[in-house]
Amino acid sequence: MTDIPDIVANPILKSPRNQTRTVFSWTIIIKDCLWIVGLAILLGGVLNYTLLFDGIDGKLIAAIQQKQLTDLRQKAEQLYPGSCFINLISSKKLYDDKLALFLDARTAPEYQSAHIYGAMSLPIRTLVQGDIQLDKVLPDKGALLITYCDGGECDTGLELAKELSERGYNNIFVLGEGYPGWEAAGYPIEKAGIKQ
Amino acid sequence: MKLLHNQYLHLAVRLLLGGLFLYAGLPKITDTMGFASSIYNYKLFSSLVIGLTVAFIPWVEVLAGLALVLGVKVRSASLIISLLLVVFVSLAAISAIRGLDIDCGCFSGVERKANWLAIFEDIGLLGCSVFIFCFDRGGISPMALINKISSPSKTEAVS
Repeated sequence: MTDIPDIVANPILKSPRNQTRTVFSWTIIIKDCLWIVGLAILLGGVLNYTLLFDGIDGKLIAAIQQKQLTDLRQKAEQLYPGSCFINLISSKKLYDDKLALFLDARTAPEYQSAHIYGAMSLPIRTLVQGDIQLDKVLPDKGALLITYCDGGECDTGLELAKELSERGYNNIFVLGEGYPGWEAAGYPIEKAGIKQ
Repeated sequence: MKLLHNQYLHLAVRLLLGGLFLYAGLPKITDTMGFASSIYNYKLFSSLVIGLTVAFIPWVEVLAGLALVLGVKVRSASLIISLLLVVFVSLAAISAIRGLDIDCGCFSGVERKANWLAIFEDIGLLGCSVFIFCFDRGGISPMALINKISSPSKTEAVS
């Protein structure tokens, strides 16, 4: 049997002046870390087991997306009370029938990297700054418009819809799932200039 | 150099860091889906990783923060917090480089973007954590006080 080093066996030593001195020991530190992490795993596992199972089954992402959509709708009630949301299936039908124009509210670099195929880039910041002449870009104020951004907690699509509404456009919908939802559904997109 | 060994400074930094982690962790325990939503926004993690993170990380934050506040297992708690902060800084840096305009998910209910400001703040906290790890021995703490009262003849320290 090997001898346990003093430092490990007795981490608390006393200096000549009878003051306490703690001796550095990685063994004890790592052991205590494992205790803390182990206790956290125990508590977290017991209290969140349903969430863990959802994570393993892959259902958690769908639950998060649903929550974010609900949050966005609640936000819309405050930010833009007259807003209308449209779901992916309905928007795809309008897209296929070429009845709606999709407006990408994200920044120009985000649009260039990937967007809904056929969508027009209309960054909300550029529009508010007056860099876009809306009358030339969107002359028909009664056109069916669908705004979108990055999904999740992104609300620029909603802001764009509000801005357009204030400027006299009266047929606007917001695609809450945004570009990620559209892409995940396998609908037509354009990535780096290539249709997919 | 004398300041580095000042027990009152140790206590102040420990309470600040421990309190901050308690404040950050407790709401995440009660609002798990809100925290899951923040993690999902990084667009880096799978469903499984999000589930594991949401279930365990808030408890690690709370227990490590509590340990710092109470002055128990100070070095281990500060080591855990340092590792967490390294992860947080890395994630915020990746998001800032990718140009994502998202909430960092650090504090539930408090908007704090994952940007360069958050990175510098987290680096500051990392400095505090390393300072505690290197110099603090839990000299002044509730646990040290309890030990003193229970056995006045012995002076004990908490590693």
